[in-house]
Amino acid sequence: MIRSAILALPLSVLAGAAAAHSKAEGTTPADGATVAEVPMLHIVFDAPMRVIFAALTRDGAEIAMDRETGMEPVAEFHAVPAETLAPGTYRLDWRGMAEDGHPMQGGFGFTVSD
Amino acid sequence: MTGLAPIDGLAVLAIAAKAAGYAAALLAMGGVLFVAVFRRLATPDVLRLARRIAAAAALVGLAVLAVRFGIRAARISGMGLDGATDATMLGFVWDSPLGVAAIWRGFGEAVILAVLLPGAGLWIALGGSAAVAVSYAQVGHSLGDPRAALALLLVAHVLAASFWVGALAPLRRAGAGPEGGALLHRFGLVAMGVVAGLAVAGAGLAWLLSGSPAALFGTAYGWVLLAKVAVVAALLGLAAWNKLRLVPALAAGTPGASASLRRSIALEGAMVALILVATAAITTVTTPPVNL
Repeated sequence: MIRSAILALPLSVLAGAAAAHSKAEGTTPADGATVAEVPMLHIVFDAPMRVIFAALTRDGAEIAMDRETGMEPVAEFHAVPAETLAPGTYRLDWRGMAEDGHPMQGGFGFTVSD
Repeated sequence: MTGLAPIDGLAVLAIAAKAAGYAAALLAMGGVLFVAVFRRLATPDVLRLARRIAAAAALVGLAVLAVRFGIRAARISGMGLDGATDATMLGFVWDSPLGVAAIWRGFGEAVILAVLLPGAGLWIALGGSAAVAVSYAQVGHSLGDPRAALALLLVAHVLAASFWVGALAPLRRAGAGPEGGALLHRFGLVAMGVVAGLAVAGAGLAWLLSGSPAALFGTAYGWVLLAKVAVVAALLGLAAWNKLRLVPALAAGTPGASASLRRSIALEGAMVALILVATAAITTVTTPPVNL
């Protein structure tokens, strides 16, 4: 499952961060931000979202993170990097389903500074 | 482009399957409506064709419904096509509004098969057509506000579209000879009212979902909708040409009128297919401006 998840990833990265229905109203870190450390990963949705797939990657390689939010519909998604993130450029991409049944996807990127 | 979701392979597959589902549902509902409205005027072989198309389309519709569940599960899973058969993902889809819509649509399409039965079968099948139309108001942006108006307009829009789409093949059959002229003439009269209703309901939906005409320009929803309306306008022109020129010519026994009319109706079918693909694209990868 993880392998196919990674295989599916380049598509979503290529497609960019525009999600159709939900506005991911804010993320932590903010999209495009440069930060010194990432104690947690956080997405706020404007309407309940069932986040089914979420992957943190650095240059396309998956980085382990612990999901604190399950697959139930939520207004906020939380995850924590399994280990302190080394300096570099990261992306968090997700897929899921909005309340009205529409498949949704999105993502954001950030940089961890030296 | 504002309000355009990423389009990957699965999204393209979803659009194709949804368009096929629209076609199947419209043909199934419309075939039944055709038989109900024109059962006294149409010849037995035209009615038989309409009943068979309705039943075959209902069966195809049921199969497409199952396929769409798999595609939806794959799209939300992030697992690629493997997600299509994942029990957890299918469960999520079942629990979503698509599950509710699938119950209405699956039930309706199964009931439409009764159109093959003699006697009361037609009236049972009409109930099935109503259930399929209602199913479309159970999912997507028709769940938004104002719920009642959106649902009512959508059901009217779908039923009116099905009346037109479902009549094309039987009418093409009827156009084989001058004796079909009366049926084609009668259809032209009924269709004027139905198509007016179709357009009014469609415009009402577009109004409620865009918020303002200005929102149509600059959003993906707006551009694809305008493309759809352009094809609809061409289709209306063709339909008017058929009604005003070709049908009278057929009734008058003008040489070549039958072939022209049958070709023209086939072209109408091709334009309908384009419209359905545009509609599937709108509802799959674009967001109505009011929801942006």
